[in-house]
Amino acid sequence: MNGPTADQQPQPGPGHTEGGGQDLAGLLARVARGDHAAFEAVYDQIAGQVYGIVRKVLRDPAQSEEVAQEVMLEIWQAASRYDPDRGGAAAWAMTIAHRRTVDRVRAETAATERVRKLAPGPVTGDDVAELVETALDRQRVRRCMGALTALQAEAVKLAYYGGYTYPQVAELLGIALGTVKTRIRDGLIRMRDCMGVAS
Amino acid sequence: MTNRDHDLHLLTGAYALDALDGDERALFERHLARCASCQEEVRGLCETAARLAMGTAIQPPPAMRQRVLAAAARTRQLPPEGRVLPLLNANQTVWRRLTRPLTMAAVTAVAAVIVVLLVFQVSTWNQLRATQARGQAVAAVLSAPDARIQAGRTSVGGTVTAVVSASRHEAVVTTAGLPALSGNRVYQLWVITQAGARSAGLLPGAPTSVLADGVSSAAKLGITVEPAGGTARPTTTPIIVLPAQA
Repeated sequence: MNGPTADQQPQPGPGHTEGGGQDLAGLLARVARGDHAAFEAVYDQIAGQVYGIVRKVLRDPAQSEEVAQEVMLEIWQAASRYDPDRGGAAAWAMTIAHRRTVDRVRAETAATERVRKLAPGPVTGDDVAELVETALDRQRVRRCMGALTALQAEAVKLAYYGGYTYPQVAELLGIALGTVKTRIRDGLIRMRDCMGVAS
Repeated sequence: MTNRDHDLHLLTGAYALDALDGDERALFERHLARCASCQEEVRGLCETAARLAMGTAIQPPPAMRQRVLAAAARTRQLPPEGRVLPLLNANQTVWRRLTRPLTMAAVTAVAAVIVVLLVFQVSTWNQLRATQARGQAVAAVLSAPDARIQAGRTSVGGTVTAVVSASRHEAVVTTAGLPALSGNRVYQLWVITQAGARSAGLLPGAPTSVLADGVSSAAKLGITVEPAGGTARPTTTPIIVLPAQA
């Protein structure tokens, strides 16, 4: 995630995430009624995305697997609480995944009082096989990230992919708390408009 | 909009990125519960944040699939709840932290016990006790030295119980047995003062609760049936009005 790439032409507007989201919402309704086959289908559709974001933030493969498992189990347990009126099904799952991941980060940080030293960046490693369908999403994210100011993009990335709180982001970037608050919000609003998310 | 509210509103982005720590998250969620424009913005920004995750998908370890499916097979699901309060997330976080060192089997057992407790909760007091874990804000009201219980039946059936702390100007409101509404109607909670009625948020189905603030000792708590999403002012006759102080 390092800025825009002008040579790529991603498809804006409704892509497969929305289409998949529709289907996923139907599957979640069946999961809510205890349908194990539907849950297998949900797993196959989103486990890669869940594991991907957990791993991106946590880095450690063993911990990531543990948290991703917890997230998938929570999706099984809480499927009845997914409300299609409040947003897409994939977004609901990603929200749980990211929240649980930062919960883990904060718990660890609090326990050890140690600040993670690595700067956030793409996960690299030979055991990480990127999913094919990820490419389109990644292109779109990258293109829209390019519409942000450098500071906005940096703040959003540190918070989301780095799992930092905004005061930590402020410290890392050496800017005032109030500034980072507004940069994150403005940046995300710009991302929202660029990605065509209905608000 | 006060300065404090304005400051809180600026946190929509950080909230959507999970960049608030526990205390500030709880504070923001209380603000969110009664700020319709924030809810709107948060929804869009959370959806946007989720898109940031979608570009990161990678192949999970193959063995994970079987482990997850096996765990699901022996894990009881949560009952539907209508609408999940933001506060509930804080609860789940605390719960997860508490149970993290336990084995999956123990977690399953704890989940089963919680479900049994939920099903067999017999007294309103137990319900209110259960809400304590939902966040420090709720716990602070329930454990306030001056907490008083107000309860009554609504005109449409079911009961409403409020634990009011005069010193904190806050109330935790729980409902039980309210008739289910059709999809386009909701129950909305109001804090009624001489200045008028101010929304304290929508009431999801039992056994969840809503935290209302700005509850002076002269205030009343009222519940009305409103169109989905709630309204800025009550548009129907309250089904119940409870005084903050007897």
